[in-house]
Amino acid sequence: MTNKEKYNEAFCNAFEIKEEQLIGLKYQGIKLWDSVGHMTLVANLEDAFDIMMETDDIIDFSSYEKGMEILSSKYDVQF
Amino acid sequence: MMCSSDNSLKGKYVLITGCNRGIGKSILQHFAEKEANIIACVRTVSEDFELLCQNLKNSYAIEVHLFLVDLSDENSIKHFIGELYKSNLSVHILVNNAGVVTKGLLQMTTMKQLKDVFQINFFAQVQITQGVSKLMMRQKTGVIINMASIGGLDAFPAYTSYGCSKSALIYFTKTMSQELSPYHIRVNAVAPSLTDTAMSNQMGEEANAEIMRRTAIKSLVSVDDVAKLVLFLSSDDSSFINGQIIRVDGGM
Repeated sequence: MTNKEKYNEAFCNAFEIKEEQLIGLKYQGIKLWDSVGHMTLVANLEDAFDIMMETDDIIDFSSYEKGMEILSSKYDVQF
Repeated sequence: MMCSSDNSLKGKYVLITGCNRGIGKSILQHFAEKEANIIACVRTVSEDFELLCQNLKNSYAIEVHLFLVDLSDENSIKHFIGELYKSNLSVHILVNNAGVVTKGLLQMTTMKQLKDVFQINFFAQVQITQGVSKLMMRQKTGVIINMASIGGLDAFPAYTSYGCSKSALIYFTKTMSQELSPYHIRVNAVAPSLTDTAMSNQMGEEANAEIMRRTAIKSLVSVDDVAKLVLFLSSDDSSFINGQIIRVDGGM
């Protein structure tokens, strides 16, 4: 599984959505991506990439695209 | 009928901060007796403590993992959480036990003293809980127990810094119990009165006498009494107890 596939899977599992819905997805843009859902997403991503995200990065993680930017620049996850 | 707490802790991994003396040490021993595996977080390790850990490992066939953490240092806690993640250990139960006690009338309390007490009694617990609860969220289960104090519930002269830090921990317990319940993580706090440890002397005779005057059972709380409550709150017997602050005070 590629990193992109793992990343997408973390989103789809956390928010019960399909891959087609991921582009442009923003925090609180759908019902399930609320603060509780956000923590589920973080847990899924930490699990998938074996990382521990900093609190500042969890706060900054505001969209599907921003998340990739954070993971690649700070956690060495290449997409 | 056998109580389920007799076996529901067996094989679980319990992280205990400040477990090389006093209440924490008793909690450590009680969990070991229940055959729970221990993740011990202490600031320093003495030969006596190492020997105790070795004896517990041998006596109960459990794992004991030692981590050195300085709760007064945010970076030390951050490093510890990183090491914990790398270790791939599960954490089923977190006991935020470590704390310091201070006394001083308001006009005799410096801002630095206040911040130092809050760092260890509150901010460190928050930081550890942030890291460990994420592990528990992945597991979709967990128990967190914070060591509060009656000093965070009742007012005593010269308890400003200590009492406020414990009050903060009590409120934190309540908010965490709400935030983490979707992940089946329960959060409770234990609030002991004056406990029979070296710490009890640090509050001074006057404060101790006042506590004793208000107490129905005229004796210090034993560390065992506190540890047994922590065990109960960690066990399946307390599966519907969440967000509670439970006093161990002999009746005040």
